[in-house]
Amino acid sequence: MINRPDNHDLLMEARQVLLNSLTPELTGARKYEALMIANVMSMAIRELGQNEQAKVEEADQAVSTFLEARSQPNPNVEGETSLAEAIRKRRLEGREPALRDVLQTLTEARLGINNPSYLKR
Amino acid sequence: MPELAEVFSQFVVHQSGARSAKVIEFEKLSGGAIQDNFGLSLDIEGGGHSGLQEFVVRQDAPSGVSESLSRPEEFRVLEAAFKAGVTVPEPLWLCEDLDVSGQLFYVMTRAGGSASPRQLVKSDLTGEQRCIIVRRLGAELAKLHTVRPPMRSLDFLTLPDQGDAALSRVAIYRRHLREIAEPHPVLEWALNWLEDNTPEPGPTVLCHCDFRTGNYMMAGEKLTAILDWEFAAWSDPAEDLGWFCSRSWRFGANEREAGGVGEKQDFLDGYREAGGTGIDPAAVSYWEVMALVRWAMIALQQARRHISGEQRSLELALTGRMVAQMECDLLTQIQELEDNQ
Repeated sequence: MINRPDNHDLLMEARQVLLNSLTPELTGARKYEALMIANVMSMAIRELGQNEQAKVEEADQAVSTFLEARSQPNPNVEGETSLAEAIRKRRLEGREPALRDVLQTLTEARLGINNPSYLKR
Repeated sequence: MPELAEVFSQFVVHQSGARSAKVIEFEKLSGGAIQDNFGLSLDIEGGGHSGLQEFVVRQDAPSGVSESLSRPEEFRVLEAAFKAGVTVPEPLWLCEDLDVSGQLFYVMTRAGGSASPRQLVKSDLTGEQRCIIVRRLGAELAKLHTVRPPMRSLDFLTLPDQGDAALSRVAIYRRHLREIAEPHPVLEWALNWLEDNTPEPGPTVLCHCDFRTGNYMMAGEKLTAILDWEFAAWSDPAEDLGWFCSRSWRFGANEREAGGVGEKQDFLDGYREAGGTGIDPAAVSYWEVMALVRWAMIALQQARRHISGEQRSLELALTGRMVAQMECDLLTQIQELEDNQ
């Protein structure tokens, strides 16, 4: 089914209206709420974007590959859950650079959606 | 609201031994999800507080549910801090009679100035002014940390297990993470690091436990009051110092490790020179890592309140999405500490 403009386009436009037309009219707590809504819309826009989706998939893949290489259980099902459990149960060496790398990849994928400017600090 | 102002006014009249009081101004102050703060200006006749007086009334919010201290407990902590010479609003009267306003509340003096973190962090202060501010803040903590258990008026505060606040905290956060039932491998990794790298425990003292930029008032460059005592606990002095210096509370001024305001060394010098017990800077760095984990746990719990439907809120939902920032900082900070070992 063709349903245009798509949700990415709709959200982009709605956010522009919110920021350019509505927010300047607001003050105090209402303005703060409008900015929170704009922030949420930014996250949703990025979450729908192909770049960020690809990064999330890469991060999930990196977790699976890491766990498989260390014979950890259920690497393909809920990889992050398995990784968290393996760390908690001390089945992985905390100082291993590859573990740090996979944790960094996961965090960057999440921040890429939630707050990409944080990565540039 | 006018009825509430009159209720508080009559309470003050009764407590202060005044003949009468006229409400000049009454407003709800911003901040505080678990309690309401009201500004109350009164023109009082007679008694011990005669004349124009400005108070803050702090009372439980109707929906207030949290693990933080109750208002009476907070009042006792504030009294202890005030007696120790810490710059706090003077706690005046506690009301434990629910018939008065429908909630527990207390009245304290109102401090001037602003607690806005952005205003302070972005203000055009000289290096010397910054140094004076953070040394003063360090000195305030040193005064607070002279309060030590046992203390009958603070017997509701729990003591760290076996005198080790760090390991007690790790155990609590592990339990919280288990309860949240959502995978957070970075937090698990950080908790392992915290467990494996505990510093020698410091003495057990009264800690504010939320001592950070945004929770103290400044009038220009002068400290007027340290606020928000609802998380106070018996703990290790380094917990307060580490929380203040944590990356989460620098408000974008990451290079100024002491609360986004000044240098960490000046802050610690102020603490030591005011009589604070010998603090190992490595212990402060350790507690900065703990601070990141704690803030992540709080953010996860806030998001859970939204997700579970207990309190649907855009702000709580967004706080949940901030956890990745703390995780990013944890990876950076632990790596830096490992590299420096």
